[in-house]
Amino acid sequence: MDRQLLLSKLKTIVASYSHDKDALEYLNETTDFTKDLKINSANLVDVVLDVEEEFDIEIDNLSMERMLNVSAAIEIIETKLKEK
Amino acid sequence: MIGNDIVDLYQADADSNWRRKGYLQKVFTMEEQQLIQTSSNPCQMVWLLWSMKEAVYKIHSRKKNWQAFAPGKLCCTEVKISGQCASGVVTCQRVRYFTQSSLCPDFIHTIAGESFPVEAARIRISSYDPSDLSYRNTAPATVSHHGRYLALAYL
Repeated sequence: MDRQLLLSKLKTIVASYSHDKDALEYLNETTDFTKDLKINSANLVDVVLDVEEEFDIEIDNLSMERMLNVSAAIEIIETKLKEK
Repeated sequence: MIGNDIVDLYQADADSNWRRKGYLQKVFTMEEQQLIQTSSNPCQMVWLLWSMKEAVYKIHSRKKNWQAFAPGKLCCTEVKISGQCASGVVTCQRVRYFTQSSLCPDFIHTIAGESFPVEAARIRISSYDPSDLSYRNTAPATVSHHGRYLALAYL
């Protein structure tokens, strides 16, 4: 999947849980889910579940541990898509 | 070292649907899921266990310089509820921590420490005003805010 498309799909998902609209607007690979987007940790679970549904992949616990920012999320999604 | 966590139950209900498919499995161990399923108040149990994990994560992440989103690695055991008070043990990477929680109709607050009983701490819970950061000058040992509430603990 094209990286831009992947990023825009991810942006749509995190938009529902972000409490910082400016950070969301300027979302890029260095954006941190909790520090920048102010997503609360209970909603990080929703981000993971939404990503699983959107891309039809399974995110194991080890991958979830690292899913703290956009670049890690993209890398995990790309890896899981390749494994399909 | 101590850590605390407050859950505004109204905010949690508005923001999170823990009944969604797959949610509990991502966050809770089998034993914890059992506690939730058999509880007479599953919603309270979900947020009690959650606040125990969060409070302990605050200590463990600072002590071990460990940053991860791994709620399943913080395992709650020995959870005892008596009226409005709860206690429990949370183990993370083989380190045991102890928690004491207050169960109120509107919020749950947990304080965690490295020994039992948890180090004597003065706890102050007030309404949270994001524009008022004056509490930072009072040097709290641990801070948590969620929804309508600000919880500070002092040693």
